[in-house]
Parts: sequence; C-alpha cells; structure tokens
Amino acid sequence: MTAGRVIFDLAAAAAIVFSGLMVVGRNPVRSVLSLVVAFFALAVCFVLLLAPFIAALQVIVYAGAILVLFLFVLMLLNVGREQPAKTGHPIQTVLGSAAVLVFAGLLLGMFRSSGARIPTPADPVAPSVLGDPAALARLLYSDYLLHFEAISILLLAALVGAFVLARRESAS
Amino acid sequence: MGGDALTFLDWAIVALRVALPVLLLPLFVVPLTWLERRGAAFIQDRPGPNRVGPFGLVQPIADMIKMFFKEAITPTSADRFLYLLAPAIAVFAALSTFAVVPYGSIIHVAGREIPMIGADLSIGILYIFAITSLSVYAIVLAGWASNSKFSLMGGIRSSAQIISYELAMTTAAAGVILASSSFRLSDVIAMQQRTWLGVIPQWNVIPQFFGFVVFFISAFAETNRLPFDLPEAEAELVAGYHTEYSAMRFGAFQMAEYVNVMVVSAITTTLYFGGWSLPGFHPQGVLGALASLLIFMAKSFFFVCVFIWVRWTLPRFRYDQLMKIGWKALLPLALANLLWIAALEIWRMRA
Repeated sequence: MTAGRVIFDLAAAAAIVFSGLMVVGRNPVRSVLSLVVAFFALAVCFVLLLAPFIAALQVIVYAGAILVLFLFVLMLLNVGREQPAKTGHPIQTVLGSAAVLVFAGLLLGMFRSSGARIPTPADPVAPSVLGDPAALARLLYSDYLLHFEAISILLLAALVGAFVLARRESAS
Repeated sequence: MGGDALTFLDWAIVALRVALPVLLLPLFVVPLTWLERRGAAFIQDRPGPNRVGPFGLVQPIADMIKMFFKEAITPTSADRFLYLLAPAIAVFAALSTFAVVPYGSIIHVAGREIPMIGADLSIGILYIFAITSLSVYAIVLAGWASNSKFSLMGGIRSSAQIISYELAMTTAAAGVILASSSFRLSDVIAMQQRTWLGVIPQWNVIPQFFGFVVFFISAFAETNRLPFDLPEAEAELVAGYHTEYSAMRFGAFQMAEYVNVMVVSAITTTLYFGGWSLPGFHPQGVLGALASLLIFMAKSFFFVCVFIWVRWTLPRFRYDQLMKIGWKALLPLALANLLWIAALEIWRMRA
C-alpha cells in the first residue's frame, strides 16, 4: 500500500464516521461541525483522486459557505439539544434498515463491477481533465455547455424563488 | 513529482520551504505588535509603550511572558472541547494560508532549482479562499462555545460579515485569475513581470484598480480589523467572540489576527503588485533570490503599515452600514471590474 492509499482510506473512513455522527448527534451545532469534518475529509479524497479543483470547490462552497450559513441560522434561533421524536412506528426502523442494506449492496456491487481504484499520475486512464482547471473549463463550455446552462437557469430560478418567498409583503 | 525517486535532501528542502515561513510568521508578530502600538501612539500624539528597553522595543516580550503565565480560565457552562478548539483553528487557518504564496524567485544551488514557495498548486488562489473560508469557524465556534451573550453576538455578526465580504473579495480576485488565465500564483507573478514601454510594470493594480480597492477593503473585513471589527466591537460587545478567553488562548486569537494581517498583505502584494518582482529586475544567483525575498517583504510591509494606519484613523462602521457597503457597493464594483477585465482580455485576444 502506498502512502496515498493509506491517507485515502483514512480520509474516506473519517468521512463515513463523521457523516454518521452528524445523523446520530443530538446537539445541532455539533452535527453541523461533524458535517464540516466529513466534507473536509471528502476534499482530501478528491485531492488524492487527482481532482484538486473539485476539492477546493468542495471546501469553499460546502464547508466555507453553506455550512457557515447553517451555523448562523442555528445560532440565531438558539436551537438547543434535539429531543428524541416521540411519534414513530417500529415499522419505520425495520423498513429504514432494509433500505440502507439494499442501497449498500447496490453500491458495493457497482464499485466491484466498475473496478474503482485510486489513479496515479502515470495512469493512462487517470482523469487528467479533472486535475487541470483549464481543461475542465474547456469541457464545460464546449461538450457540456447545454447541461451547464441548464443548471445555471435552475439555480437562477431557485434564487428568484427564494427571494420571492422571503420578501416582506408590501403594503398594497 | 516526475519519475525520479525523492532523496532525503529533496524532502528536507520541501520541508524547509514549507516550514520556514510558517515558523517565521509567528516570530514577526512580536515586532508587529510593537509597531502597532507605537503607530497608534504616533497617530494619537502620545508616547506609547516606551519604558521597557530602548523605544519600548522589549515591551512585546514582556506582554508575551505575561500571556503565557496568566491563569487560563474556562467558563463552567462552556462547551469545553469546542471552546479549546476555536483558537487552534484560528492559528491553523492563519498560518496555512501562506503555503501557496511565492515569497521569492527561484534559487539555483548545486544544480537544483528551489522555488521560494511552499507549494505551487495549480489551484493556488482557490486554496487561499478555501482556507480563509474555514477561518470563520474559529470565530463562530469561539462565540458559541463560550456560552456568553456577548460572545454569541460577536460570532453571529462575524459569520454574516465574512460571508458577505468573501463574495466581494472572491469576485475581485476573479479579475486577476481572468487576466493571468491561471489559478497558479507563480503564473500571476510571471504575468506581472512584463512592462509597458519598458518602465511601467504591468501590475494588476493598474488595469484593475477598482478590483484592488474592493479586494483590499474586503481584506479588512476578513481580518476583522477596524473599521470592520464589529465581531469584537469593544464599546458594545466587551470583546466580542473572545470575551471569555484569557491568557494564551486569547493570545492565540491575537496572534492569528496579526498573522492574518501579514498574510493578507502578502496576498495583496502577489495579486496586484507583482509579488517579488520589480520592472527590469531579473534575479540571478543566490543574491538575486535574496533580493527578491527582500522586495517581497518590503512590499508586504507597506500594506501592513496601511493596515495599522487605517485602524487608528477611521471610526467603526455601524452594522447596517457594513452590510450595505458589502452588498450594494463592493459587490457591484467587483462585478463591474470583472466585466471590464473580460472585455480587455477579449480585445487583447483579437489584437
């Protein structure tokens, strides 16, 4: 095992563990922080997959902006410890666990059939496009221009929608 | 990384390249606190610290000893783990930002090329923004974990402030990225080494003056310095997010602030003022490399002085004014700058 592989495994494990802590935790602020660590660990994985550009975006957008906003709202509302839900049915636990197992099986099968592994710089099939921001940009603005523009319009619509919803009713 | 196996010496050089600035930056904090207090005193027409050593030069050492030996108090109702983690994040974020800033040209020694930079990443500028966006957690966590109203108010203000100004700062820096068509900071400097008419340096500050203004103003907000120090506004919030911190834990926040001032000055120098380069200066040999290092330090020092000068000259903004400046003045200006640079680049490509 190379050093890169060891770091990748550690980061991946950290991402899974802290994602789990985020779900299980009762203290909302600590849950958000677990998610920050999970995102950071994911960014480390991206770096080792030769995609530093995506790693940087992961940290800037998710850890640096979205989760700060979450924290901001939590602190503003002064949310305390979460109470365990009183309603709920035992069948939910059973169905939920079954769904998780099925999903994990699907994921495992997919990875095994695709032969997923960590690329090296000398690798002929290495996704060099992801590593080079310029190459990625060229691809986005040529082959995937339609998808790119579609997502832009979707985001713009979401932005306008949020603005309309949050806006105070004017005295009319 | 190539095919050659890395020898022990290569590893040592890489370690030194990274460690040297990281070890030196906290050392520079010591004279910087002296400079700030003497500068403040000069601006306010009073003597300032002048008792300990000649011109009060040993005063920072005395302050440091005091900070190390004071009692570190933890509030009983604080979230202990996060309370202790917050100053550590502050120092970590402040120090690790510098890793991608080139602080000198390339040294050629014994057939080796040693670039004076921690790591010349292909995503250099993005790395800087990624790390600075993490530094907000230090302040937010300190505010929340202290379990005090003043701290919490400081933390909340800070998160809103930093999100708002980060946007303007990033948009301003996008102009530099566009002009040099690279995220790599060594490319940004290489592009600025060209000259107009052989004398005027092609520094980014000339075509992107408004981008520079937006970037530098946002830098004040990002480092929580006056006139944007609302997270710690002492007249209303005692000391804001670090109200409940004492001894060296408070010292850690203080150190992070000064390191941030130096790092932001270094980044401003690199993005807008040609970094270690000067027009007509082509560093050769070890002496040339050292000269480039000195040029870089001198330029950065100038901006550090501007930070001190502004702090003791301008009053603090009100919170609503702060938000208004960020969203209604700086962001549109940064966007206009970006459009202007894009137009300039298209014109340059056609020509």
